[in-house]
Amino acid sequence: MRTRTTAGAAITAIALLALTGCTGASGPAPAATSEEVAPGFLAVADDTAPAGGELVVQVDYDTAEAGGLDPQSAATARSWMLEGLVYETLTTIDENLAVAPGLAASWETPSDTQYVFTLADDAVFSNGRPMTAADVVGSLQRLRDTPVTWTGQLGPIVSIEATGDLEVTVTLSEPYTPFLAALANTPAAILPMAEIEAGTVDITTEMLGTGPLVASAHRQDEQWTFVPNEHHPDAASLGFSTLTVDIVGDEATRAAALRDGSADLAILNSTDSASLLSGAADVRVATQRNTDFHYLMINSIGGDPALADEKVRFALNSAIDRDAINALVFGGSTAVTGVTPAGLPDSCDPSELASSARDVAAAKSAIDAVGGLDLNLLVYTDEPVLAQIAQVIQQNLAEIGVTVSIEQVDYATYSGKVYADPSDFDLALSWFAGYADPAMVTTWWNPTLAGFSSVYMTGSSDLNAAIATGASTPAGEERATALAEVCDLADRQSEMVPLVLRPSTIGWNTAELSPTLTADEGYGNVLRHITEFRVG
Amino acid sequence: MIVVLWSIRRVLAALVTLAGVSVLIFASVRLMPGDYTDLVLGPLATEAQRALAVAASGLDLPIPEQYLRWIGGVLTGDLGYSFVSNVSVTEEFAARLPVTATIAALTVVVTLLVGIPLGFVSALRAEGSAGAVGRFVSALGISVPEFLLAGLLVFAVSTLGLGISVGQYSSFAEDPGRFFGSLVLPIVVLSVGCVAVVARNTRDAVLNVLVEPHVQASVARGETPMFIIRHHVLRNAAVPILTIVGALVAVLLGGTVIVEFVFNVPGMGSYLQTALGRRDYNIIQNAVLLAAAVFIVTALVVDLVSNAIDPRLRLTGGSRR
Repeated sequence: MRTRTTAGAAITAIALLALTGCTGASGPAPAATSEEVAPGFLAVADDTAPAGGELVVQVDYDTAEAGGLDPQSAATARSWMLEGLVYETLTTIDENLAVAPGLAASWETPSDTQYVFTLADDAVFSNGRPMTAADVVGSLQRLRDTPVTWTGQLGPIVSIEATGDLEVTVTLSEPYTPFLAALANTPAAILPMAEIEAGTVDITTEMLGTGPLVASAHRQDEQWTFVPNEHHPDAASLGFSTLTVDIVGDEATRAAALRDGSADLAILNSTDSASLLSGAADVRVATQRNTDFHYLMINSIGGDPALADEKVRFALNSAIDRDAINALVFGGSTAVTGVTPAGLPDSCDPSELASSARDVAAAKSAIDAVGGLDLNLLVYTDEPVLAQIAQVIQQNLAEIGVTVSIEQVDYATYSGKVYADPSDFDLALSWFAGYADPAMVTTWWNPTLAGFSSVYMTGSSDLNAAIATGASTPAGEERATALAEVCDLADRQSEMVPLVLRPSTIGWNTAELSPTLTADEGYGNVLRHITEFRVG
Repeated sequence: MIVVLWSIRRVLAALVTLAGVSVLIFASVRLMPGDYTDLVLGPLATEAQRALAVAASGLDLPIPEQYLRWIGGVLTGDLGYSFVSNVSVTEEFAARLPVTATIAALTVVVTLLVGIPLGFVSALRAEGSAGAVGRFVSALGISVPEFLLAGLLVFAVSTLGLGISVGQYSSFAEDPGRFFGSLVLPIVVLSVGCVAVVARNTRDAVLNVLVEPHVQASVARGETPMFIIRHHVLRNAAVPILTIVGALVAVLLGGTVIVEFVFNVPGMGSYLQTALGRRDYNIIQNAVLLAAAVFIVTALVVDLVSNAIDPRLRLTGGSRR
């Protein structure tokens, strides 16, 4: 009898725990806070908070690049963040996503095609050698000469010259407004060129930069350990002794680590995590706005033949309820966007796009004209939110007579179907990094420049010309008009359809950590202000 | 002599099986959609980057040559390098196998200490409340999925502050206390299912033996229950129990994906899962081949031990009655 009672109590306890764990997620998810504690900041480190402890950060996946640890070939935001702890760039971005000085203390633009950078005089590589103008010239030249993803983002560089001990001049063949923003991302990092050319450092396996930290250990897919770069100007004021980055694949485990204090900060994938952590003492969860955004590919080349018709594609585009995606999938924490990420200066207003009218009757009429459609919608499992977005789209398109079957596959399978030639899908969901200048991501709507999109979209010469104009027009009203044209053309062609911004959810333990986190981020670098973090 | 010949036959059969398995593994991996270079480079990579990565990973070689290179390396102890980390497969496995082996060994110990007595009690008290509890616990343990139990434990220990942290793995060399502490929850989760399976099989095996004529004759002779269990039941019930325990050992050594993933323990299971997602062919091929080898060797050992335990198996060369 006693055994039965004990077993019953145990089962009841488990059931209660299960219910406790599920209650929050089943109701409307209370969105993580995006309240700013200071203009542009979700959190600002308290200078008086205890410091010197070990900082533990948990993330969901590790960097894995074909180019190893070479920052110039880094293609993912995770690599940009982790390698950005060790390397620095000429420029950086501030809390308003505006370009700010980095290793370049200042710069002048004698003409709209020339940039003269004055380098910081206190930048020192972690091996103790001061950075020189030759390192800057060599790094940018290497990036220009080696065709990697970021090479195209640097723009039409004609020459890179050292014009003084601490001065570098870059000349472009034509105006390119995103140039300074492109220099702010990790692939444009300044490398120790003297050591690379002498063969004493292999930067595909070892990191040697001027950044605040040095990677002292790395076990792939398990853990990184970073220690301070004693030569960095902020070394003496760092608020922690070591940084450990644990790779923890399971979202619930990362949430649990925040709850029990074994992690100081964790990157979360789901806004529902805020619900799971709502009762936890000393844990704060916040949503960081990103310029990254989700988009829908409508395959006009290898998909259903009806998708070659722009009217059909626009019907699909205009049937999608972006506000419903924001509300149902993101708990209202994000924003609808056009091709240029919403929130960046000069970006287009998505509410002015033709599809935003959401004329369901007109869309249904266009679909009826082709006798209805049965389409597959491909998503990959690494990004669980894609399946949720897919469900909203499935319901939206059902309203206009389109039957959508959602296929969830791993990323390798997805990649093999979407980016292979010929491509093998009707609809597919993914996301783009939005970067820090609104013209940068528009490049991907030109299939010739992008390459990868040429297997599922044809684009148009009008759109290509508009993209080029948007990139070369100086920031301001004129560029806003040019970029509005890009958004409008892309919206009408409906081959890659922007949906909503892709926010980051960040949790941290307020009892242990006092961090500085910006409210907006352009390169997925949650740890951008790590030199200000303080851990007791 | 019969045992020796039987063993030689089994070893040869195992080698042939492994050779066949190696072909299946290699073909399966190559038939998976998408490959490492597509995945790691992503869609934005340039053609030059793609060509470089393909050449560096050896994927530009003809498929038969890729197989022969791999299997030749296996035979000479050179398992190649991980595409992702560029570290030798041997080194990668050496870091993870001890973790999985420790989890497997401790889970088996818990399973034997709890599962076999539970099975005996269930069988000997089949009609009473103890038997009912045993059956219920067995059914529950088999029915509860690992991911559910693991998720509940993660939530429970992090909420209730039980002094156990989730996901705070440390290697034995760095911190032995933390190493074993990080294995407690994975072992608990795995043990629940394993105990249930062993208890259930033990119960069935014992019940089967209890109705054998020689046991009933012992009862008729007035021998004590303990004597009957020790001399007539234990040994006869051991073979089926050993078989199921052997299978569990093989499965556990092959990798315990879910618990390793949920509890962030860097063993072979979670590593293989990550490698599959990244199409890290060298890791996948060698890990699956290793798991197959473990399974075959374990089955071989179980058969040998069964032969030693049960003389009837020896006489018939492995086929009982």
